Amino acid sequence: MSVTKTQTGITPAGTQQEAVCWSCKAPSGGGHFCAACGKIQPLSREADYFAFFALPQKLQIDESSLEQRFHQLSWKLHPDNFVRASEYERNLALERSSELNDAYRTLRDPISRVEYLLLRAGVRKEGTTKQQAPPELLEEVFELNESLDELREAKSEGLPAGAGGDLTELRAKLTEAQANFQEKLAEVDAELKAVFAEWDDVPVGIEGDAARKSVMAKLNELLNRRSYIRNLVRNVGIELEQG
Amino acid sequence: MAYSDKVIDHYNNPRNVGSLDKKDKNVGTGLVGAPECGDVMKLQMKINPETRVIEEAKFKTFGCGSAIASSSLATEWVRGKTVEEALAIKNTDIVRELSLPPVKIHCSVLAEDAIKAAISDWKQKAGESKPAAVEAATPAHS
Repeated sequence: MSVTKTQTGITPAGTQQEAVCWSCKAPSGGGHFCAACGKIQPLSREADYFAFFALPQKLQIDESSLEQRFHQLSWKLHPDNFVRASEYERNLALERSSELNDAYRTLRDPISRVEYLLLRAGVRKEGTTKQQAPPELLEEVFELNESLDELREAKSEGLPAGAGGDLTELRAKLTEAQANFQEKLAEVDAELKAVFAEWDDVPVGIEGDAARKSVMAKLNELLNRRSYIRNLVRNVGIELEQG
Repeated sequence: MAYSDKVIDHYNNPRNVGSLDKKDKNVGTGLVGAPECGDVMKLQMKINPETRVIEEAKFKTFGCGSAIASSSLATEWVRGKTVEEALAIKNTDIVRELSLPPVKIHCSVLAEDAIKAAISDWKQKAGESKPAAVEAATPAHS
């Protein structure tokens, strides 16, 4: 099959040295296939998932066109196309195909997309960073946890479901709290969307550095808040479901 | 991951669980949380306004074993100390005492934050800081 030459990837000027094709030694253009000879190229170490789809590092992504690109690339990179190629090329196809799946899975979902962006920028790390819960929610969070505790206790005392008025009351309280926090989750998502747009408006290059930093901090804080609330909603859900 | 014996001891026999009257003007309340794990910690202390000695400390923590142990230990440590001495407690002291692994360091940070928050709440009530905020200091409870 003929391989259409891929357009040169949109790489920020100066961030990547000229990639050279392993086969024909001509500049490969940095895409999946060599711009000169069309051979599949190894993944570059600094390439990220955005670059994989030849996308700029923007957070607002048209998901249907991303899906389209994903299908096109899966077809082009499919290992079946390389059964008669060298072992090296077969491995590259395998490598790129699996990278494609990871990249698509990550970018498709807005939350994992922004998490990925912040992880790459070193803004977000697991573990040791100090993270403060939204102070205006703490009181509610604490109360919710107390009701959860009470519910667990009531259950472990073996009250048959529906027998104690207490249990019914607790359940009602928790269901209400859950709805309340679900609403807050939606609020956070709306806020995130707004900051996505802010991120996409940050000018490229050095003049955007300060803005980039502050927008990233904002995104990070919103993500923390989101995961906090999501955990709560999930825990309440589990407790309410179990008999 | 294995917990240290001290963590397990505090987890199984937490000291000073409970609450104090948060409306009492000698009681400082610190409520802190860590979004990643969803841990919430409430630490309260009753402070003698004359001697500035922490006479009673109570906590309630929703979180993992390390968070519970950190706050349990914190209440033990602050009791009998003056406000100033309590403020000198560092999270690294807690890490050392409980042999917390790196992934649980944030639990000790939470405990240190809770001590500081409780004391600053008490100071606010006592009019030592931000006197303008005294009237409005009651946390929103709507």
